Amino acid sequence: MRQGESIVFQSFRQAMAWLHTWFGLVLGFVLMAAFFFGALSVFDREIDRWAIPSSRFEPQPMPSFEKVLRPAFERMQPLPASIEAMRPRVDGPMPAHYDSIAYWSAYTTHRDPVLALYAGYQVPGAKNPEELLLAEATIDPRDGRVLPNDQLKIGSGFFYPLHYSLTLDWKNLGFWIVGFSALVMLAALVSGVVMHRKLFRELFTFRPGKARLRSVLDLHNLTGVVALPFHFFFAFTGLVIFASTYYFPIGHTQLHELHELHEKHEAQELGLPHGRAGVPAGLANVDAMVAQAQRRWEARGMAGDVGFLVLQHVGDANGYVSVYRAGTDRIALVGQGVHFKASTGQLLREDPPTTAVGRVSEFLTGLHLQHFRHWLLRWLYVFGGLAGCACIATGLVFFVEKRKRQHARQGSQGARVVDALAVATVAGMGVAVLCMLVANRLLPEALPARGDWERHAFWGAWLLSLLHAAWRSGPVARGLPNPAWREQAWAIAVLAPLAVLLNWITTGDHLLRTLGAGYWPVAGLDLALLVVAVIAAASARRLGRRAGACSRDAAEDVEAAHA
Amino acid sequence: MHDPTHAGWLLAAALAACLAGMGWLALGMDVHARQAWGRALSPAEARSLRLPGWLALVAGLGLCLGADHPSMAALVWVMALAVSALSVAFVLAWQARWLGVLAPWVRRAR
Repeated sequence: MRQGESIVFQSFRQAMAWLHTWFGLVLGFVLMAAFFFGALSVFDREIDRWAIPSSRFEPQPMPSFEKVLRPAFERMQPLPASIEAMRPRVDGPMPAHYDSIAYWSAYTTHRDPVLALYAGYQVPGAKNPEELLLAEATIDPRDGRVLPNDQLKIGSGFFYPLHYSLTLDWKNLGFWIVGFSALVMLAALVSGVVMHRKLFRELFTFRPGKARLRSVLDLHNLTGVVALPFHFFFAFTGLVIFASTYYFPIGHTQLHELHELHEKHEAQELGLPHGRAGVPAGLANVDAMVAQAQRRWEARGMAGDVGFLVLQHVGDANGYVSVYRAGTDRIALVGQGVHFKASTGQLLREDPPTTAVGRVSEFLTGLHLQHFRHWLLRWLYVFGGLAGCACIATGLVFFVEKRKRQHARQGSQGARVVDALAVATVAGMGVAVLCMLVANRLLPEALPARGDWERHAFWGAWLLSLLHAAWRSGPVARGLPNPAWREQAWAIAVLAPLAVLLNWITTGDHLLRTLGAGYWPVAGLDLALLVVAVIAAASARRLGRRAGACSRDAAEDVEAAHA
Repeated sequence: MHDPTHAGWLLAAALAACLAGMGWLALGMDVHARQAWGRALSPAEARSLRLPGWLALVAGLGLCLGADHPSMAALVWVMALAVSALSVAFVLAWQARWLGVLAPWVRRAR
């Protein structure tokens, strides 16, 4: 009986190992990108500051509506490109001026110096009357000055979308790939724990002096186990966010009619008008509504700043203003919306505290989306993300190390291919990011479609890294390490300080100045780049010594074979 | 959260407590005691390290709760445990003797 059980358990363990190895290999590359760009996205706003020097000033609170926002909103119109894009879906000519405003909204966080404004316009004759023409603007909240909106926000506009969709927008393919990888990540964590067994006994075990296979596996287990709660919760909450937004949007697809009806019922229940009344109406003082909302938050013991301000059905009798609180002081993404009738400023509704289930869901999404003001926790998240990268990278290296000698004997190219892909994913990703930052500082400010060139620099560098890794992969087929690891580590060690230097030359913001002024968004990124350079150089030297030892061993083997 | 400096000190103390706690827990394990002191500990000595280890981790949670809203404190603590465990592992890998500083009353092997 015991015998039978142990055989069942053994084959279970083997199945787990198979799952861990092969799913980990196939999706490890995607997960690596998700973890790496996720770690960068923790400081997406700060990377934006580095990349757009004109926005390097202190974060600002939501400005006065009457003084700053209103004139800015009134000046806004959709871009010619979006007007052209909508034209085929409209019967009749497009209007010359868009003044049927479905909504105006302004969004800011405690890390944003510049303010993003959004507007949606109804288009007369639109085939789908629900479809809105959208517009976006960026302003300086101190004086309402419109800032150029065509510069690429490298952090929030590129690294962040890479994190969740790989920027594969076609049919939302990227979302599905990343989501599936997150699911596999959960399976890999469970199977990894089953395989590892000595979770606590080997919690502190890392033996860099031992054989390469052993020390790589130690590092894989160590980075996987210490940050296990982080890995689990981020894969899980990522899936929760995806599931509610992209995977099951049945309300908007299959059940459109029902959804529409539900929206109307909901609007009725909330006392917030669902559609326009068709009767023009004025707009009362919005700043007074904001002040009242803030007084109401204070009365609930949660005084705070405005994070999101929305005006629905502007200029219509059904218009209303919603004021949401910025979630800086707790994990849950809570809005505590307070809603007012736009024409009179009369209070329509104050969102009640959420139910227990709602709170759990808010905590889970808030945990991942991190709107809180807590710099230590942000850095700890970066640490967790990089630990995840280290875990995946060492997993890939282990896969290659374990097989390459055997493959070399059999004349198989498997380990060689995986190793080249691993070089491109691990080192190449760093090279690509650094090339993008360098390009950001080198390209002329007024270059048309500058953001596209920055993207080209990123993808081009990544492709070159893959080609280089493939070209240099010959030694792997003989059971030796790929020199591309070392060479790309050196590339990182050179590019990272170069980015810091170029930042200094092109903007005058050197470290002494940014540190002296306490301007951490730029100082922090510069310092991080220098640390990366030191680590990359140290790894490159270590890899160099190891390669030397390996080829001496191989030479001795050859001599021994001749003797 | 009301006074940022105060919260900063609490968080620094929380990190220190977690680091010390993980260090003591590691030293309470036979393998790592050998790395730090070159000898195995008696069961009583090991217990006298593991207990303060656990207590320090709990104290770390308490300090986190003192600094932030509980939902945030829980996350800070979990992540602080991760950083501490990794740091202790790296110290053991490269400078194992340094970890002995945490328990100066334990004598090295001669």
